[in-house]
Amino acid sequence: MDFEITPEQQDLVDSVRAVLERECPTALVRDIIENGSAPRQPWKSARELGWTAIDVPEAQGGLGLGFHALGLVVEQHGCAIAPGPFLATITQFLPLVREVADAGQQDRFVRAAACGEITGALAIDHGRAALHGLGDSLRARRDGNAWVLDGERRYVLDGDRADEIAVAARVDASDGVGLFVVPQEAVKAQRVVELDASRPLAHLRFEGVRVEPSRVLGAPGACAPALGRALEQATVAAALECVGTCQTLLDRTVEHAKTRRQFGHPIGFFQAIQHKCVDMFVQVEKARATAYFAMLAVAEDDARRTLAASMAKAAASDCQRIVCKEGIQIHGGMGYTWESDVHLYVKRAKTLDALFGTGPQHRQRVADLLEI
Amino acid sequence: MQLHYDAKTEEFRSELRAWLATNQPDVEEMRAEPSTSSAHLTGWSRRWQRRLFDAGLLVPGWPRELGGRNLGPVQQLVYHEEMARIPVRRTTNPQGLGIVAPSIQDYGSEFLKRKYLVPTLRAEISWCLGMSEPGAGSDLASLSTRAQVHDDHFTVHGQKIWTSGAHHSDYCFCFVRTDPDAPKHRGISVLIVDMKAKGVSTRPLPALHGRDDADFNEVFFDGVVVPRDHLVGALNHGWSISAGSLAHERGMVWLSSAAYLDDMVERLRKLARTMGSDGSRIGESGTFRDELASVYVDAQAMWIMGYRGFAKFAKGNISPEHSLLKLFSSEVAQRAARLAAEAQGIDALDNEAPRLAYTEDTAMPWIRRYLQTFASTISAGASEIQRNIIAERVLGLPRR
Repeated sequence: MDFEITPEQQDLVDSVRAVLERECPTALVRDIIENGSAPRQPWKSARELGWTAIDVPEAQGGLGLGFHALGLVVEQHGCAIAPGPFLATITQFLPLVREVADAGQQDRFVRAAACGEITGALAIDHGRAALHGLGDSLRARRDGNAWVLDGERRYVLDGDRADEIAVAARVDASDGVGLFVVPQEAVKAQRVVELDASRPLAHLRFEGVRVEPSRVLGAPGACAPALGRALEQATVAAALECVGTCQTLLDRTVEHAKTRRQFGHPIGFFQAIQHKCVDMFVQVEKARATAYFAMLAVAEDDARRTLAASMAKAAASDCQRIVCKEGIQIHGGMGYTWESDVHLYVKRAKTLDALFGTGPQHRQRVADLLEI
Repeated sequence: MQLHYDAKTEEFRSELRAWLATNQPDVEEMRAEPSTSSAHLTGWSRRWQRRLFDAGLLVPGWPRELGGRNLGPVQQLVYHEEMARIPVRRTTNPQGLGIVAPSIQDYGSEFLKRKYLVPTLRAEISWCLGMSEPGAGSDLASLSTRAQVHDDHFTVHGQKIWTSGAHHSDYCFCFVRTDPDAPKHRGISVLIVDMKAKGVSTRPLPALHGRDDADFNEVFFDGVVVPRDHLVGALNHGWSISAGSLAHERGMVWLSSAAYLDDMVERLRKLARTMGSDGSRIGESGTFRDELASVYVDAQAMWIMGYRGFAKFAKGNISPEHSLLKLFSSEVAQRAARLAAEAQGIDALDNEAPRLAYTEDTAMPWIRRYLQTFASTISAGASEIQRNIIAERVLGLPRR
C-alpha cells in the first residue's frame, strides 16, 4: 500500500504546474468570467504537451500512462482553476466513449480526443449520477438501423461548445441504457447562467435527433455497466480537481493569515485563526488521500472502485465545505469582495461539488454498498 | 503508488497469521483473569508477550536478542496491521513496551539496559510513565517534581497525575526537575523510580465513565531516594528523551487507531440492523445512514492517510502525519460513538457494562464508550495542542 507520488510522477506534476502557472494565471479565469473571453490556453498547452493523451493506450495514439497520471494532472488543473475543454473532454467524454467504442469509433472519437483534435462533453443525469442512474427525461427509440433521441439533458459541462456530445439515454423498449455520440449542432443548447462561468454549463434539448449506426456506442439497452464505469472516472476526476482547488484556496488563506496584521500581529498568530487553518488542512489531506485511493482503484480496475469513487466525492464535498467557508471568513472583508480571487476558487469548488452527485448523494451510495 | 504489497511481504503476512492462530491467548483464559489497567500483567499476558518475544515477533524491527527479527519498515507495517486485527494487544503494559523500552535502548547506560530492557520485553516487569503533573499537562515542560542531586543518589519530592497503571507498575519512568534555575526545557532529567521504594504512594483516579475503571492515578513522591545510576541519559537532558520516547513507532502507531475506527464501523453496522426505541430499524433512518457513511469514509481516509505518512516515515522524511492522524482519528471516533448513542435514543441510558478488560471492551454501552473517547482527544497532546503543532510546524503560522 503506497499512496505517495513517485519521482517520475512528481516530475509530471511539477511540469504541469509550471506550465499552468505561466499560461493560466487567475487573470485569465477572471477575464472569462467578467468579459466572456475564450482563451486558447491552457488547452493549447495540454494538446501540445500530450496531457490529453496520458490515459489513452499507446495502440490508440496515447501515452498509456494510466488514470493515476491523468488524475495528478487534473488535480493541478484544479489548483490553477484552469478553464477550458480538458475536464469535459478528457475525463468525461473520452472515458465513456472508450468503454464501448468499436474500432472505427475508437479512431474517430478516442484517438481524435486524445490528440486534442476534437472536444467533447458528457450528457448524463447529474441528479442520479451517484447511483449511476438515469431519469426519464431523455429517451432513445429505434428507427430502422438508426436511433432517435427525444428529451432533455441538463447542466452539461461545455454542452454548448464541445464538438461532440456523448449521451446516455433510456432505451424505450428495454428501459436499459443506451449510449450515443451526437454532433453538438444536432442539439439545441441553452446556456445556463452558471455559478462559475469558467465551467460553462448548458441545458441540451434533443428534438428527434437521429443517430446513425456509426454513432451508436455498443448495444443500446445493455450499456449500464459502461455508463457506471465512465461515471466513476468522471466522478473521481471531479473530486481531484476539487482537491486541487481547495489546496490553492488553503495556501492563499494561510498566506493571507501570515501577512494581514491586526492588533500588532499577523492574524495567523491568533489561535482562533490557526485552528481554522488546521481544520482546512485536515480536510484537504483527507480528501486528497481518498481521491488518490479512488484514482488507483480505477487505474488498476480494483473491485473497490465504485465504493472508492463515492468515498472520494463525499470527502471532496466535506473538504470544499470547510475550505470555502473558512477561506472566505479568514480573508475577512476582502474575502467578501468581487476583486479578491477567493470567490473564483469557491465557485469552482461548489460547481465540482454539485457535478456527478453531491456529498450526501454519494454517502447514500456508500451506505447502500455497505448494506446499511 | 500501488494498491498492493509485493509477494514476499504477503508471504510474511501469511506466516504471521498462521503463527497468531496457534499462539494467541485463549478467550476463556483472558476472561478468567482480565487485565484491569495499562500496567497489569496477568498470567496469560506474561506468557503471551513471552511467546512473542521468543518468536521474534514482539518488536519486529529489533534484533533477535531484543524480541525481533530485523524486519524492514514495510514488513513491520504489515506486522502492525495484523496485530491490530486480533482481539488482543501484544502487551498489557503498552507504555512499558512502546515507550520505556525503546527509550532505555536509545538513552540508557549499559547497566540500565542489562537490568531493565530484556525483563521489560519479556513482561517480567511493568512500567508507568511519570509525566503530567497538576501544573504541567499540555505544557509538560513546566513540571515541578523536584529531584535534588547528591553524590550517589537523588531525592525526589513532588506529584504526578494521570499516571496510567501506576498502582500496578513495578517502576516509574519519571520526568523530574534537576535544575530549577535553568530555562524550563533544560532542567529536566529522567529517573527510574522503584514503585515499592519508601515514600512512593499512589491514589487511583477513576475515569468519568465508570468508578471501577481506574487506570489513572495520582502518584506522590515524598523524599524518595533514587540511586544515581538510575538516571537515564545525561543530567538535565530529559526533554530530548520525552521527544524521542514519543517518536518511537510513530510511523505505525496510527494503525491501532485506524483498526479501532474499523471496529466501530462494524459495530455501527450491527447497530443499524437493530430496532430503535421508536420501533423502526435504526438503519432505515436517512440521517443515520448519512452519518454512518461519513464515519466510514473518514475511517477509510484514516488508513490511506496513515499509509501516506508511513511512506514518508519509511523514507526517513519528517512528516506531519502523527499530529494529523492523532487529531483526526480521535475526533472521528468520538463522532462515531456519539452517533451510536444518539441513534439508540432512550436505550442509550442503559449503562450496564460487563467487565471484560482484555479486549476493546466487547459489550461496552455506547454512551459509556462515547465518554471514554475523550481520553483520546485529551491525552498525549489534546486536540487543541495538535492543532497548534500543525499550525506552526506544517502551515508555518507564527509561533505564539
